[in-house]
Amino acid sequence: MSKILVGIDVGGTFTDGVVCAGGKILDSAKHPTEEGDLQGSIFAVLDDLLQGVKKDDLANKIIQVVLSTTLVTNLLAAGGGEQVALIMIPGPGLNLKQLDFFPHTYIISGAVDFRGKIIEPLKQTQVEEIGTLITAAGIKKVAVVGKFSQRNNSHERLVEEILKNRHPHLEIVRGFEVSGQLNFLRRAVTAYYTAVTRDKWARFADSIKKALRKRGIVSPINILKADGGTMPLEVSLHNPCETVFSGPAASVMGAFALTMDQQTSVVVDIGGTTTDLALILEGRPLYASRGAVLSGRYTHVRSFAVRSMALGGDSTLRWTGNKISVGPDRLGPAACFGGPAATPTDAVNILEKGKLGSLSLSHRALEEISKQAGLKVEKLAREVVRRVNDRLKDGIDDMFRSWEQEPAYKIWEIVNKRQVRPDRIVGIGAAAGAFIPALAERFGCQALVHRYSPVANALGAAVARPTLSLLLHADTQRQSYYLNLEGITGKFSSDGQLADAKDLAQKKLQEIAEKRGIGKYADHREIFLEEQFNMIRGWSTTGKLFDVGVQIASGIIDEFKGVQP
Amino acid sequence: MKEKNGNISASPPAWKKGSGGKEALPTGLVFFPAFDWAISPTHPEREERLLYTRDQLFEEGVMDLPQIRQYQPRLADHKDIARVHFCVPDIETQATEAHRVAAGGALVIADALMKGEIKNGFALVRPPGHHAMRVAHGNRGFCNINNEPVMVEYLRQKYGLQRIAVIDTDVHHGDGTQDIYWHDPDVLFISFHQDGRTLYPGSGFTNEIGGPLAAGTTLNVPLPPGTTDEGILFVLDNLVLPIIDEFEPELIVNSAGQDNHYSDPLANMSFSARGYAILNEKLAPDIAVLEGGYSIETALPYVNMGIIMAMAGIDYSNLYEPDFREDRFKEDPRNLKKLEGIVQELTAVFRRRQELVQSTRLQKSGSLLQRNRQIYYDTDQIREAQKEALRVCPDCPGCLLIDSQASGPRGHFRVYCINIHIRCCPQCRQEARDHYAEMCRQTKELFDYVYLQDRAADLYLQYDCHLNAEDMV
Repeated sequence: MSKILVGIDVGGTFTDGVVCAGGKILDSAKHPTEEGDLQGSIFAVLDDLLQGVKKDDLANKIIQVVLSTTLVTNLLAAGGGEQVALIMIPGPGLNLKQLDFFPHTYIISGAVDFRGKIIEPLKQTQVEEIGTLITAAGIKKVAVVGKFSQRNNSHERLVEEILKNRHPHLEIVRGFEVSGQLNFLRRAVTAYYTAVTRDKWARFADSIKKALRKRGIVSPINILKADGGTMPLEVSLHNPCETVFSGPAASVMGAFALTMDQQTSVVVDIGGTTTDLALILEGRPLYASRGAVLSGRYTHVRSFAVRSMALGGDSTLRWTGNKISVGPDRLGPAACFGGPAATPTDAVNILEKGKLGSLSLSHRALEEISKQAGLKVEKLAREVVRRVNDRLKDGIDDMFRSWEQEPAYKIWEIVNKRQVRPDRIVGIGAAAGAFIPALAERFGCQALVHRYSPVANALGAAVARPTLSLLLHADTQRQSYYLNLEGITGKFSSDGQLADAKDLAQKKLQEIAEKRGIGKYADHREIFLEEQFNMIRGWSTTGKLFDVGVQIASGIIDEFKGVQP
Repeated sequence: MKEKNGNISASPPAWKKGSGGKEALPTGLVFFPAFDWAISPTHPEREERLLYTRDQLFEEGVMDLPQIRQYQPRLADHKDIARVHFCVPDIETQATEAHRVAAGGALVIADALMKGEIKNGFALVRPPGHHAMRVAHGNRGFCNINNEPVMVEYLRQKYGLQRIAVIDTDVHHGDGTQDIYWHDPDVLFISFHQDGRTLYPGSGFTNEIGGPLAAGTTLNVPLPPGTTDEGILFVLDNLVLPIIDEFEPELIVNSAGQDNHYSDPLANMSFSARGYAILNEKLAPDIAVLEGGYSIETALPYVNMGIIMAMAGIDYSNLYEPDFREDRFKEDPRNLKKLEGIVQELTAVFRRRQELVQSTRLQKSGSLLQRNRQIYYDTDQIREAQKEALRVCPDCPGCLLIDSQASGPRGHFRVYCINIHIRCCPQCRQEARDHYAEMCRQTKELFDYVYLQDRAADLYLQYDCHLNAEDMV
């Protein structure tokens, strides 16, 4: 038997898992997600899955276990996690005192400009006073974030040094470690949330690791990120925020695993309460241009562009007096599975003559509404499916529109703008089969509902490969380069050219990948950004600025060659 | 739109009605740095110009704020350009894709404003445009196509706006925009700039007040070199704002150059980023369009932030340049005295505008008023000779006839241009159209092209005298 992949996706309602090998799903499992005990839900699914795997294979054949979980999202939504103080070094610009930030936010003097020049010094006494206030309040964790700290992180380092001098027990997250991308506010939010969740995530990760080892699995344990890629469990300890929104990412990767071609697909994941929409444009999943939104704030977490609609297979159906309304609430499972109210799933069940569940239960649930509406049950069922598809179509159209309206900064991008329409709609989730064919007909494209669609999310997790995205900014006048990862900076020759910047970026990506234990994927790297600007002062060139982006993009691990039809 | 002291214009335009919640709307922003376009590699108008502005805006995270809504520019149509310019020999030659995207950025903001999606907007675009005149033989002062008039004429055609104020706050005289609205009494054009005796393009003096049928709706304030925040805001408070109030425009446009800044390498003024923010807060333009500004590292990142913050109603008290010193921006009392004199002179001109136009009509109705001009295109080194004739009509702003010739890199061209004002009376319009037909028929030896710009019908024709072929844009 060939190599085995295990994927587990903790969703809001259910936790799904699959074991797959050689393009086939050998076994799948499903348990309701216990919000208070995610570990319990994961272990239940894991134990179900492993029953079918031989003891020897556990150790020898499993090549990766990938976990997608909502722990961090839940922690932040519930306001759990640690108390954190945020120290910001903004310099000139927005008046942060006017912004509604976090409790225990301190704004201090000091400033760095876009070239990395210090334009205002730090005030040591100010930092010391804040240290006293923070410790007096019993706070043990601090996030310190400066504007343009990716171009010069000495202020962030200095704040850490001053604080640690007097209060060695403080744990400090520095902005430059979290993200070197431009956007100071997102960096502050991401650093703050990292400090809030890091300990709890570490405890969770540790117990997952122990549980797997106890069960005889020795393979790498990887965590799925919002960008559809994985990261080793050890790496996730530094970046817990990257684990958010991995559920929708799992669905997109599942759709990808089912198709594995260069077509343009709309991924429609119909869950119980919500439906997630995502786009795969000519074989490449579309990313959110602004980073994931966590608890209402933009972060630097790279994620797929996913649109969540309050519309699912279990949404409650009601008659409003002149039309049928769908959702946004879910009272429980569909009536055909013993649930309390009529749902879109029941409508489909009626049209499909009881293929999904109990026909009589569905009938009884829809009959009440049909009396109010004065419509026959069958007609009502068709009307429900039509309304659901209307809303899905609006959502998809809107997604394409917003993608087309993404800002562009170069002339060729505007001139070569083109319209893209979907080649097909990929349905994910148990209810997909009921809605996707009619929806695809509206777009005049193919529908893909695979026999693995109900567990495609867990499949997506199982087969996802690591991702790593590196941005290099080099300034020949300052003879320095800066990476967005881990605060790495170094020397860049004053006569360096774009080719040197590209070489350096690729070399650094390779190094970091190896350090993270994903070195073999560095061959998949690709350059996605290359810009160079001549610095002209007076009428002569005084230097060059380069921006280079190189990444291991999201994709499927080499061992997986696609599903059998 | 100014609605202060309860002084609301008698009939607000349709699109403004019921817009009580306008203040709650975001500010629209088109940020288009054209990172792949330059006049030449070392030219001030080059790829790098908005690079540090991008870094500052992106690092600041302003696009994430609910007060800002970002838009993508589009390509302006050839027709959008034909409404404003007589492009020689044709639009394709003068309006490259870069120019069409910059102008299109302004159109996107205009649409968003008129659809009620935004309360105001800033087209932070390049290349700039305010030196581009009505007849375009090439590039003048880094400009080929004039973005603000392209937007203004679009607003008039598409949304029926009539009265518009364009305030040019660039350090250089907005001679292109002045030329385009010289004969248009419905567009108030005020430019304040460094004195033309000390800076390109060398025009913009107080005696330039508009053509015979539009006198007093063009006003120029030459500022002494070194003028500070205090001096510029004095002109704003005492001249620009009161005149706008009297003119009652439906829309205010800021032709927003940033080269009044104390660090600009091409000019000699002493304006600060905070000064720009105050200016935009007070002027409250509905739309601002970026013009010049070449202190790309020390000024632009901060000035652009300041304009955005002021327009969006975001607190700008923490915005300052790294080398900003409060005491630097006190005005020299002698300068203030000079400015007071200019304010009085121009206020008087503006108040007499109807009287001036009336007396021209009484004396000259039916006749052709002519002027001869030489226009120099510094970037492309072209000299244009122009004969301009205005037919004085008792009822309308009249129609304009231009005989223009110039030698440039593409050879020598002589063209004949006919402009019909959007509010032209039927009689003038018919005469102008007949005149166009006659010129196409009779003057083949003299001219290479004959152009008709019929704004009343939104119809633009171009006649190639060598091929005997007419094209409609």
